[in-house]
Amino acid sequence: MLLIDLCIQGLIQGAIYALIALGLTLVYGLLRILHVAHAALFTLGGYVGVVVTNGSGSFLLALLTAMLIVGFVGMASYRVIYKPLLMRPPLIALIASIGVFIASEELFRLVFGAYGLSYTNPPLKGQVEILPGISLSHARILVVVLAVGLLSGMGWLAVHTRIGIAARATVVDPAMAASSGVNVETIRYASFFIGSAFAGAAGVMVSLLNNLVEPTMGAVPSYKALAIIVLGGLGSVRGALVASLALGVIEAFGTIYVGHILDRDSIAFAFLIMILMVRPQGLLARG
Amino acid sequence: MLQVADLVCGYGDITAVHGISLTLGQGETMALVGPNGAGKTSFLMALAGHIQPQSGTITLDGETINTLAAAQRCMRGIGLVPEGRRIFPDLTVMENLVVGGYSRPRSEQTLNLDHVYDIFPRLHDRQKQLAGSLSGGEQQMLAFGRAMMARPRLMLVDELSLGLMPRVVDECYAALDKLVAAGIAVILVDQNSDAALAFCSSALILESGHMTWSGLAANAPESLTH
Repeated sequence: MLLIDLCIQGLIQGAIYALIALGLTLVYGLLRILHVAHAALFTLGGYVGVVVTNGSGSFLLALLTAMLIVGFVGMASYRVIYKPLLMRPPLIALIASIGVFIASEELFRLVFGAYGLSYTNPPLKGQVEILPGISLSHARILVVVLAVGLLSGMGWLAVHTRIGIAARATVVDPAMAASSGVNVETIRYASFFIGSAFAGAAGVMVSLLNNLVEPTMGAVPSYKALAIIVLGGLGSVRGALVASLALGVIEAFGTIYVGHILDRDSIAFAFLIMILMVRPQGLLARG
Repeated sequence: MLQVADLVCGYGDITAVHGISLTLGQGETMALVGPNGAGKTSFLMALAGHIQPQSGTITLDGETINTLAAAQRCMRGIGLVPEGRRIFPDLTVMENLVVGGYSRPRSEQTLNLDHVYDIFPRLHDRQKQLAGSLSGGEQQMLAFGRAMMARPRLMLVDELSLGLMPRVVDECYAALDKLVAAGIAVILVDQNSDAALAFCSSALILESGHMTWSGLAANAPESLTH
């Protein structure tokens, strides 16, 4: 029973990682930039979720608002941070991104206070017994439903719509996509919107599971999501999803069985190092 | 249709093309001939909008298009079949063609697909396959098909026969014939200069980025083309 329970908890955690890592992968694929400031958008999502839920009483409204606001802020981050730096070496954009991430933690501290915020009346607390002996809160079930829904929606877009197909072509060869009439800028803005909105949704869900948002909640996801996209093979969406779920499960088992030697976050990196020793190009990268 | 006047372009501080001028009418064909490094590819990439001209003008149907981005030039009728084909290997054949037709209204897609499949039946047979799994010749056909999906009026074709079997080269020239018959102008680069000169009505000979000769392809001096 414990094994199944651990698998389920791991997959739920993995679903959250997947929502965060997707945006990072999209940005890396299109711009070849490590978008560290992505984790600040995750935190922003958490704050919007708590503030809107406490203010309006509707968690659904909070979730939608958070996705919209964070999506637009993500588009703005492309316009303001990355677009002016595209002609420079990617290291410059990386440094700018880290700078924005650190500054954003301080900004959250100034605006919302250093101690974090909680839901005054946390929604979705009810429990459901999904298997004999294993119950999950509604919030955890929503995490899974949301991740599956959003990610498969995106998968559908990528295969069945012209803009989705054009986006995949742009990742492979931006110049030839442009010569086919694809507006590469539109693709970039759309990808930033989707990736950021998903990170915002993840931020809302984490804020709900922990019943807490605080300025530094993006720190651990930021480096863990970087580990995930390296693990998945940089730029590979499918790889990032597999790596997210794998990491979630490995962490769940690791905390129980080797948790007395290694803490949860070091397990993630030990796993990363082990996999990269065997497959330096990542799990699902080509060649 | 296309006028180029004193075009100078290159990469960074390096100038690859020093002052090329040409005029091309609707449905006309021109071969660009010259040794490796003569600036043929750079010239085509400047026409397609991937290299910014340093000076000179490119005029298409009376409009100066020097500063237009590649996507806008595609919409104005310039198609590119680049060196090395540069198809999208992770996408299926059909998806490559759909991207090629991105600038056209969605309602036209089926018609344009049928048109491409008509000229290259082999692409129809392989439409669900990943483009990266095609043979070199099929990839060249796909590169042609992708450019045709945008309904170009001017086709820029770089290194048509490079790395292809003779039979496939013949098929590609046959396809070019059909394009020209449909009124599409072609600027052609082919390391097999005899084939390019035989196909095209006019020729422009480049050496180290300079235009050394231009005129009717039939009159091209052999000393310069070999």
